[in-house]
Amino acid sequence: MRYLERRLVHGLLLLIGASLLCFAFSALAPGNFFDEMKLNPQISPATIAALRSQYGLDQPLPVRYTNWVGSVIRGEWGYSFAYNCPVRSLLWVRACNTLLLTVLATVLVWLIAVPWGMWTAHRHGQWDDRITSACTSILIAIPELVVALVFLAWAVRTHALPAGGMTSANADAFGGGARLRDVARHLVIPVTTLVLASLPILLRHVRASMVEVLEAPFIQAARAHGIAGFRLLFRYALPAAANPLSSLFGFSVAGLLSGSLLVEVITGWPGLGPLLLEASMARDVYVVVGSVMASTLLMILGSIVADVLLVTLDPRIRVT
Amino acid sequence: MTKTRKVAISVVALVAIHLVIFFAGFVAPYSPAEQNRDHPFAPPTRIHFVDSRGQLHFRPFVYRWLAREDGFGEYEEARDHEYPIHLLVEGCDYKIGGLLKSNVHLLGVEAPARIFLAGTDGYGRDLLSRTLYGGQISLAAGLLATLISLTVGLLIGCISGFYGSWVDESAMRLVELFLVLPWLYLLLAVRSFLPLQISPVQTFFLLIAVIGTIGWARPARLVRGIVLSAKSRTYVMASRSFGASDLHILRRHVLPHTYGVLLTQAALLVPQYVIAEVTLSFLGLGVNEPVPSWGNLLATLQQYNVLTSCWWMLAPAVALVIASLGYLGVANAIHERLQSGSI
Amino acid sequence: MRRWGCRVALLIACGHVCLAASPQPVLRSEQLLISDQPAGSYGGTLVLAQRSEPKTLNPVLAADAPSREVIGRLNADLIHINRQTQATEPALAKSWSVSKDGRVFLVKLRKGLRFSDGHSFDADDVVFSFHVYLDENVHSPQRDLLVVGGKPIEVQKVDQYTIRFALSQPYAAAERIFDSLAMLPRHLLEQPYREGKFAQVWSLTTAPNQMAGMGPFSVKQYLPGQKIVLERNPYYWKIDQRGNRLPYLDELVFLFVGNEDAQVIRFQAGETDAINRLGADSYRLLSKAAQADGTEVFDLGPSLEYDFLLFNLNDLMNQDSISVKQTWFQDVRFRQAVSAGIDRDSIVKLVYAGHGEALWGNVSPSNKLWVDQSIPHPPQSLDHARELLKTAGFSWRGENQLVDRQGRLVEFSIITSTSNAQRTKMATLIQDDLSKLGMNVHVVPLEFRALLARVFQTHDYEASIMALGGGDADPNPEMNVWLSSGGTHLWHLGESTPATDWEARIDTLMQKQMVQLNYKERKRLYDQVQEIIAANAPFVFLATPNVLVAAKKTLGNFQPAILDPNILWNVDQLYYLSENGVRAGGRP
Repeated sequence: MRYLERRLVHGLLLLIGASLLCFAFSALAPGNFFDEMKLNPQISPATIAALRSQYGLDQPLPVRYTNWVGSVIRGEWGYSFAYNCPVRSLLWVRACNTLLLTVLATVLVWLIAVPWGMWTAHRHGQWDDRITSACTSILIAIPELVVALVFLAWAVRTHALPAGGMTSANADAFGGGARLRDVARHLVIPVTTLVLASLPILLRHVRASMVEVLEAPFIQAARAHGIAGFRLLFRYALPAAANPLSSLFGFSVAGLLSGSLLVEVITGWPGLGPLLLEASMARDVYVVVGSVMASTLLMILGSIVADVLLVTLDPRIRVT
Repeated sequence: MTKTRKVAISVVALVAIHLVIFFAGFVAPYSPAEQNRDHPFAPPTRIHFVDSRGQLHFRPFVYRWLAREDGFGEYEEARDHEYPIHLLVEGCDYKIGGLLKSNVHLLGVEAPARIFLAGTDGYGRDLLSRTLYGGQISLAAGLLATLISLTVGLLIGCISGFYGSWVDESAMRLVELFLVLPWLYLLLAVRSFLPLQISPVQTFFLLIAVIGTIGWARPARLVRGIVLSAKSRTYVMASRSFGASDLHILRRHVLPHTYGVLLTQAALLVPQYVIAEVTLSFLGLGVNEPVPSWGNLLATLQQYNVLTSCWWMLAPAVALVIASLGYLGVANAIHERLQSGSI
Repeated sequence: MRRWGCRVALLIACGHVCLAASPQPVLRSEQLLISDQPAGSYGGTLVLAQRSEPKTLNPVLAADAPSREVIGRLNADLIHINRQTQATEPALAKSWSVSKDGRVFLVKLRKGLRFSDGHSFDADDVVFSFHVYLDENVHSPQRDLLVVGGKPIEVQKVDQYTIRFALSQPYAAAERIFDSLAMLPRHLLEQPYREGKFAQVWSLTTAPNQMAGMGPFSVKQYLPGQKIVLERNPYYWKIDQRGNRLPYLDELVFLFVGNEDAQVIRFQAGETDAINRLGADSYRLLSKAAQADGTEVFDLGPSLEYDFLLFNLNDLMNQDSISVKQTWFQDVRFRQAVSAGIDRDSIVKLVYAGHGEALWGNVSPSNKLWVDQSIPHPPQSLDHARELLKTAGFSWRGENQLVDRQGRLVEFSIITSTSNAQRTKMATLIQDDLSKLGMNVHVVPLEFRALLARVFQTHDYEASIMALGGGDADPNPEMNVWLSSGGTHLWHLGESTPATDWEARIDTLMQKQMVQLNYKERKRLYDQVQEIIAANAPFVFLATPNVLVAAKKTLGNFQPAILDPNILWNVDQLYYLSENGVRAGGRP
């Protein structure tokens, strides 16, 4: 319990530190939200200046930070300049959409990578190991963007899958079961792209650490005792190889909200990604800070999960 | 094949790739900045041995590309005149390694024909030349940035895992902070503080510095996990009871366990950092025109119409794949070599 | 028994749905506008994709393009500019009369009109709307349009259907001010306005029944991050030749897709019905597939925008390196030499794939009413450029390197926005062209707002490629670009007095044309302005892109125009063609 308490206190400190740095960074970056209006000859500089002061952008940084903290305590999490509404309402729906995508992708990646990585480690040096190695190298070197676009191009040519978005334009007329199928069809491309992006990395790590463990004396002893096949791999080798995997799993959890930004933008998935990208470019500061806070929460969770897994899976670690 | 021989083969392959890129000036038929405004997005030149009259030529030859009149951006070969391919021709000037000046190129054809082995980009610049020259900055930057982030990550991960308690906690919180912050704004601020014109050399070092500074967090966490596990092994305790210093234990007993993770990360990070340049160029921190780099060559691939109509623009991606395969091969081979020597 | 109950319930539900969206029968008391377009048939849903999400549905505060695109379909204005003829026509106003000095407008509204929720529309709503637009505490971006000669427009209710507008000075083409000023429902918005909560009304999450407008559609549903669905306004005030109330379409759906590539992908997949402002490469991609898949592409000719190369001529306090270069930029012969050295044809060919036109002045050739045909259009001439540079005191040394009188190498940077690949392409082409004159040019792509900060605030840049224009064909909206005191006088911001004679002459001419009511006189004045601008080259004009759109062949009355909103300006008259005259079905 004490450990958990300590971690939660650290988490709170991390949130405060991240929010302070976020504010500091956004103040350093050139430009602000209303700059784009300057290019419009029909809006006078006086109006733009008045808008800036209405939203408090001409106040000093500490004042703005205190106002923001007050807003967080009230449950609003700041105010969006673009949408003219509290940040929390903006983030909530989109965060749920993103989580639908990333949780599914993460589960799939881990379910595929761990057994496959163990299998290729077992078949170390054979032809299927080599082919897997080559495929993972190719996948790592191709940018995520290109993979997503290639998929979409194929979807357009063959009309097999919808070309982006989360629901079809006429989805309101569907019943419950048809709606679920509609969302599932829209999930295929983004989930596959996400899986293909993280699979090779995880696969490589699983393979590398399993290869190390499989050469250890205790495995050879187990083999000598007649233990073989799946039992050997899962029950004996995997826990010993789980060390880097726990850290990676922590990263997977931490990246649940932020890792799918690019894929969401390309495929038009209505998640946090497009919102965050536009808000960052437009300097809609409080939306960015709000998203960073949400990601930090997940990062704290992921970190705790990783550390707990480390200790439980690897009996050689003693937490001091 | 013995493990040493595997290492040797992988290293030779990697060195060959790097040599080709180092001697890009010689291997590439054209200068990377030379625009052929009549041939934007031209497909790769086809090499023929048999001409339109059915005659077999000993020396391969090419035809000129002519743009079709209907303006759909398509080309057809002008079958009137054959232009044979010559070796060791004179072309534009270049410098190898900034020092050795020459104007001899490996391949070439007589003007006005052009040999675009990988097609051209939107300005009519030869993509093969650009890809070869681009590798110079990208591979060097990717390698150096990986080196920096792995070194820093290793240091912090080791110290954090080995000493535990508050050192570990603060280091890990720092790692989390690094991973969570929106670097976008800081990078924009950095760009605005820099002078307007940054020479390619300066951009190169900037890239390395930026990526290396942000990228150490992941390896640090991975290394820390391994170190935590390794430091409580029985032989470490035994070594300590013999009076070994921390440094000795770290170096001889703990560090070897991290090699696997470090090598895997190294092979993974180099291509990732090359691709990261695409994002950085969006922030104004990338390599500027007309200097090519794999990052800014891949950036044009992000447009849907380029991807679907101009398949030859994938050339830099192919080059990156080949280089990554090389790095992976070396990393695997070294890992195996070390395996047999450790544990 | 239960089955019958279900069927009846279903019928009632359907009927209710149908009733809600179907047009109301025309009442004799309504003074409706009769459309002059061919009549069409009811039914169908038009699906479009937008590059980014609308941010608000509040017409007074919205400044971004996607929001304005949606808001424009939900609201109507008093006097409207017909996007095709580019002339004004009556909208909610039945007629209007102007006083002899052009200052006073007497506007008569159509009688018997109703908002989309059935509430009646009259002069009180108009007066309320203008009150909100002019309120200094609301900070509407449209307020400045209504401030002429330093004073806001005066609005006075004469009777229930007549309003009197008074400007403080005559203003050319004053009725164009009224275009796109949405008329707000007093019965819904007066209370939040009085309570000071106007900024929060009509956000995207407001319930549809709390919004009402005079436009052809009203909001039905909004899904965050995905789409917004608009449905027919049953009380819309236009009818077609057969006396049927417009609009024909049942629903209008905007999908939010994120970028131009995604728009093209959805259109190719058949999920959207039309696509606006294509880039040249996407246009080529779609035109290849056009006939086969039942779509059509349109090249409408040059748009009203102009791309230009801009030199920093601001008064600089403390940036010595740029001040040194400004001695070159300030010499008009240098700027003219740069203009002569640029290969505009390559820009049109390589950047716009031939779908564009080279420019030598600020008015695009498609603006037939205002373009000055006498401005010279010289092709690229490096010799002429070298002559100009020689007379300006420059010389060449070494391997074709340009140096100024003091022997300094001529070297400068052009900043562009990374979000716009086309301008970076133009900069690279110009870099290559100017290298033939011996100038060493660097292309520096910067993030968009970082670029704006340098151009508008710190003035820490040397040259830049940007684009302006496109709003309206009339010269008045662009006043602030050419007036030396204007906020978008990009090359020299913050001038208290004109820095050069020619800028002073432009000031006088622009002020004169602003109050000149006679078109011929105005054109003469504006021609002079164009000639001064072309001769002195504060902007080196480069090119303008063509307006490229695409749509499915089944869309009837599709008449895309050069002015924004290019395809939706007549959305109330769009309908779906069917094979044999039977009512066209919606989407499958």
